Amino acid sequence: MHPATTGRSNLSKNKREEPCAPLFFMYIRTGRMFSLFIERSSYGKLEENDDGAIPMASRVIFHIDMNSFYASVEQSHNPDLKGKAIAIAGNPQERRGIIVTCSYEARAHGIYTTMQVHEAKRKYPSLILLPPNFDRYRIASKAMFDILRSYTGLVEPVSIDEGYLDVTDLAVERHAVDIAREIQTRILSELDLPCSIGIAPNKFLAKTASDMKKPQGITILRKRDIGEKLWPLPVIEMHGVGESTASKLNGLAIKTIGDLALANPGLIKEKMGKNGVRLQARANGIDDRAVDPDSIYDTKSVGTSTTLPVDETEEENLRVIILSLCEKVANRLEAKELAGPTVTIQTRSSDWQNRTRSITLKNTVWKAEDINRTAWQLFTKHWNGEALRLVGVTVSNVADKGELTEQLSLFNFQEHAKEEPILDLMSKLESRFGKRVLVKGAKEAKLKRSTTGSETSFSKDFLDDHERK
Amino acid sequence: MKFEIMRERLVEGLNDVMKAVSSKTTIPILTGIKMDVSAEGMRLTGSDSDITIQTFIPAEEDGKQIIRVIEGGSIVLQAKVFGEIIRKLPTNEVEIEITGNFQTHIRSGKSEFHLIGLDAMDYPQLPDIQDDRLFTIPADLLKTIIRETVFAVSSSETRPVLTGVHWEVKDGELVCVATDSHRLARRKTKLETLPEGEYSVVIPGKSLTELNKILDDNSEAVEIVMTNQQVLFKSKHILFFSRLLEGNYPDTSRLIPSEHKTTVTVNGRSLLQAIDRASLLAREERNNVVRFSATSGSDVEVSSNSPEVGKVEEQLQAQSIEGEELKISFSAKFMMDALKAIDGQDVVIQFTGAMRPFILKSALDDSILQLILPVRTY
Repeated sequence: MHPATTGRSNLSKNKREEPCAPLFFMYIRTGRMFSLFIERSSYGKLEENDDGAIPMASRVIFHIDMNSFYASVEQSHNPDLKGKAIAIAGNPQERRGIIVTCSYEARAHGIYTTMQVHEAKRKYPSLILLPPNFDRYRIASKAMFDILRSYTGLVEPVSIDEGYLDVTDLAVERHAVDIAREIQTRILSELDLPCSIGIAPNKFLAKTASDMKKPQGITILRKRDIGEKLWPLPVIEMHGVGESTASKLNGLAIKTIGDLALANPGLIKEKMGKNGVRLQARANGIDDRAVDPDSIYDTKSVGTSTTLPVDETEEENLRVIILSLCEKVANRLEAKELAGPTVTIQTRSSDWQNRTRSITLKNTVWKAEDINRTAWQLFTKHWNGEALRLVGVTVSNVADKGELTEQLSLFNFQEHAKEEPILDLMSKLESRFGKRVLVKGAKEAKLKRSTTGSETSFSKDFLDDHERK
Repeated sequence: MKFEIMRERLVEGLNDVMKAVSSKTTIPILTGIKMDVSAEGMRLTGSDSDITIQTFIPAEEDGKQIIRVIEGGSIVLQAKVFGEIIRKLPTNEVEIEITGNFQTHIRSGKSEFHLIGLDAMDYPQLPDIQDDRLFTIPADLLKTIIRETVFAVSSSETRPVLTGVHWEVKDGELVCVATDSHRLARRKTKLETLPEGEYSVVIPGKSLTELNKILDDNSEAVEIVMTNQQVLFKSKHILFFSRLLEGNYPDTSRLIPSEHKTTVTVNGRSLLQAIDRASLLAREERNNVVRFSATSGSDVEVSSNSPEVGKVEEQLQAQSIEGEELKISFSAKFMMDALKAIDGQDVVIQFTGAMRPFILKSALDDSILQLILPVRTY
């Protein structure tokens, strides 16, 4: 389907209330020629409130969502795979056998993300299974974000294959849809990758919009459209609503997004708390989160988990596994120059009972041995010997080591005291020549290292490729 | 058992023994208070098996009758309910009578309560402590010693022995040390009554905190008896037993630096206030860190900086600064605790380096020493 039809479906419904809609419509059908002419008159009103007032901080936000990203990257690397049903999956032998992502052709055969590999194979035996190739995805992701940054610095990567753009300033000169079209075309022609773009006055609506048409869609979602487009949908369709939230809402007789939007705010607050209030605002098309290019640097936790080859009951084996998880976490903390005071251990038993236990320490930890000491203490305190199929370790509330402090103890200060002469010298040089004139050798090497010791699909380490300006 | 008692004296006694009673006890009868009445007076006992407090209310004091004993006896009554009842009775005269089956009748004015008691025979025996080896300390001094040390005990159970205060009696001197490994408080006291032999025990911090609450602030002597498992504090009408902590207390004497590179003498109260102000911008997640520097001249500088909140700098006139320049970071909380414990006009602070423990003493005497480990900032 041609993306323009999406535009039409959005706009044609508003014909009566929006005098500029026919022009807008024409623009989309005929290409760029009317863009300059139209932008003020139609898009400028995108933000109109119910009472007709135009808010001061009227913004134009894009949400770019790469279409079946990993599969598309594989297809662009090997054009023979184009048009075929392919899926990226972990190693089925080690029971990490779930579909991470799959091509649209595979989706047409009923394959979906998180499906078990053996089930997918049964459903569609000619499905082509590929192992993940994270380096490839990271390179493609970086190239994609580089294109986005050539438009504006206000790019907020959310994950390896999606991000927000605030194009408010650009949309003064050019029509927003025109910009979106150009971005989409460039990503396709330069990187051979499809994407969908949502255009809206805020992040929530932009994300919702990008989801409305895939692949290669451009969808505008205005606040006034939500009654028609959002409200009839069941609440589970809403971004930010998962299964448990949905079932809680259903328990309050809230079935659709519209029900949530119009529900008694007092009830929502009482039953669902702060998150409920936020979701209700979103259901009403309100979301005042700014596009924050720095949010990717605010890592809050670093963790890793592993599904075990067999349901494990041997304490000694678990000890080794947890130690290796701690080492992984330590490597990633080290690569990012982070440390945190909270250690969490996750377990999933053979009957899929998930548990997390955490402890917050006086000092922050970043070394494998320190993380492991705490993690193992936590684990042995809470493990009752049941068979486990998954264990994980996370260090959270992390911050830049530069911001960190360590309360020394009678039993460890000597180690630190050894470094006194060099620290003294550094502080003297700093006071003479300014801060950061010196960075200790090991730290310097680390700062330069861009690779990160992580290989998981859900990791945000790809974000390390984005250099802080 | 039947007697009449002045209500306010019973309330006082109950308040003291209630401090030992815990609702979390695993031994059901310990949720009760034991009452033993004889011609001499009444004994009240409360315990959580770690701490046991016994108080004695004499039948007659200074020629004034407090209890009129009609018939002696013993009973255990639910501490919480009994305490509340006595507190709320309408008149100052209370009559308590036990009839068959531990039925307890409490009468005051026109009010009459019936409580179901428990057999006093089931209440655990007090620890049997031979008090032939004891020493004494005036109550007010004992309270001071506790206040100056107990705040430094560890609140974490990872090294249980550090949740207590180490009491060592040697060469006519009592040395009390508490540390949570991040700071240490030490108090030395010359003993007036020389004990026979040497002692080394670790008393739970919680016990000392409770003891401090029930001791009166006067100069009456408190007798202290130490055994292997228990310590007993004995004042005129109160027996306070505490379990001791097992395990060896670390040898802290060698951890206290004897050489110094920088010595700062400064008014304790001014420094306390400056640290208190600077701590407004120190964050708990960052160990409440404040910076202290003595670099030039006769001023020290106290500062704190939280990137997202703001910063503060304050100059403070020092009495004297000797030795090398120094910049150090430490926990504002630990510093304030230490300064409050010293409570003197001038304090001497001795530093040996930015990553090494430093000590605080009163400029006037050596009895108190506070040691603090710095915070390393990265």
